[in-house]
Amino acid sequence: MSKELLKICNFSKTFGDLAVLKDISFSVKEGEVVSIIGPSGSGKTTLLRCAALLESVEKGDLSYGDLQVCVQGVYAGKNVLKDAKNRFGFVFQNFHLFPHYNVMENVTKAPLLVQKRDKKEVEEMARQLLKKMGLSGKENSYPCELSGGQQQRVAIARALAMKPGILFFDEPTSALDPELTQEILKVIRDLAEEKMTMVIVTHEINFARNVSDRIIFMADGYIVEEGEASSLVDHPQNERTKEFLAFISQKG
Amino acid sequence: MDYASMFSELLKGLLVSVEIFFLTLLFALPLGLLIAFGRMSKNCIVANIFRVYISIMRGTPLMLQLLVCFFGPYYLFKIPLASSYRFAAVIIAFSLNYAAYCAEIYRSGIQGIPAGQYEAAGVLGFTPVQTFFRIIFPQVVKRVIPPVTNEVITLVKDTSLAFSLSVMEMFTMAKQIASAHTTMIPFVAAGVFYYVFNFLVAFGMERLEKRLDYYR
Ligand SMILES: Nc1ncnc2c1ncn2[C@@H]1O[C@H](COP(=O)(O)OP(=O)(O)OP(=O)(O)O)[C@@H](O)[C@H]1O
Ligand SMILES: [Mg+2]
Repeated sequence: MSKELLKICNFSKTFGDLAVLKDISFSVKEGEVVSIIGPSGSGKTTLLRCAALLESVEKGDLSYGDLQVCVQGVYAGKNVLKDAKNRFGFVFQNFHLFPHYNVMENVTKAPLLVQKRDKKEVEEMARQLLKKMGLSGKENSYPCELSGGQQQRVAIARALAMKPGILFFDEPTSALDPELTQEILKVIRDLAEEKMTMVIVTHEINFARNVSDRIIFMADGYIVEEGEASSLVDHPQNERTKEFLAFISQKG
Repeated sequence: MDYASMFSELLKGLLVSVEIFFLTLLFALPLGLLIAFGRMSKNCIVANIFRVYISIMRGTPLMLQLLVCFFGPYYLFKIPLASSYRFAAVIIAFSLNYAAYCAEIYRSGIQGIPAGQYEAAGVLGFTPVQTFFRIIFPQVVKRVIPPVTNEVITLVKDTSLAFSLSVMEMFTMAKQIASAHTTMIPFVAAGVFYYVFNFLVAFGMERLEKRLDYYR
């Protein structure tokens, strides 16, 4: 039995009068790849942001392994939150690289300043990561000199440099052209092969079907259906899921 | 009066103007950041205090503020006016005034940084202080250079307002020489000096802007 890296129980979240997450529960085991799909506005981003502590929930529990981050809507102290942030990485739809740092600095600043790791070790690791991302030779470039796909790969390297147990992706390809999209999807596929634990919000249903172990379908703030990736896509049980998948495949 | 001694008097005045200029920047630039923080405070009492401060500093003439700074201690607290306080009063008034303008420039610079920068830094575990000084502030500096340049250039010319407290800066000197010798020349010369001073300032700021041009 591999261990549970992330556990979310009964998450509820509202923005003003709008209930965005309603009683959401799921967990992610080590080495698992979970995709979250669903119509626009269903709360996928919000769920990921709550898991990544970018938003807080009103109700529910959140834990990273043995680390209890939130119990019934009450968050743990600063130190626990800081620890928790070392356990996950987050890749944003719009990259959010630091424009005043070059590629190398983007990747190494957090390991150096936050994790206080050895400079030599961090730089060596950063070079390896950039090589893996196909970015060798770009160490001294600035984000504004890179294509969208390259920027997103730097963002992935930046997240991986922290050695997170789990990596969150919020529509990592939505800001990219189809060609560049393939570039990023390949990187994620490679990570999946290395058994990197990932939670991916995506509109690329085929990709989700092929790369993930499990797919979660969300609508109106609920988890409507959840199951093994290919069976959920090929044989959805719920009417909402069927409707959504039909709509997506029709769109192309 | 021969030209040589006229120029040497004016240059002495210019030195005082330069002194006012640099001392004002030295105090106003950092003070402006503190005021900007106060203005952006989540505590709305604090935010409003700074809002009113900025509004008064921007809404009343600098010359009036100079006079209040110099005579205020006497009229309010009966502290005897020392002539040596003149220069200090000028620096205090200029710094307080310019800090208010800088604060608003910084504030718009800080608020213009996309929320994504804070979020990216946050998920990487940067503390709020690290986030501000490593991620946000360097980007703010780049953004505020053009508006700050405007203020700095205005400051060069505003140093002449110190004449209202009879501080011997260049404009005061020029006026004295002109009325004593009934000649326009000191004004013309002072004008040229101000212009050259500003030219150098603008040149320096442009260089700084170029140096930060390596990223967008
Ligand atoms: N900061 C916010 N303030 C108020 N409402 C918000 C905020 N963020 C999201 N919402 C609302 O919450 C709902 C869910 O948004 P969310 O971004 O999580 O959806 P999503 O499933 O990621 O959609 P998409 O596929 O378009 O990215 C939407 O109705 C949205 O308008
Ligand atoms: Mg979204």
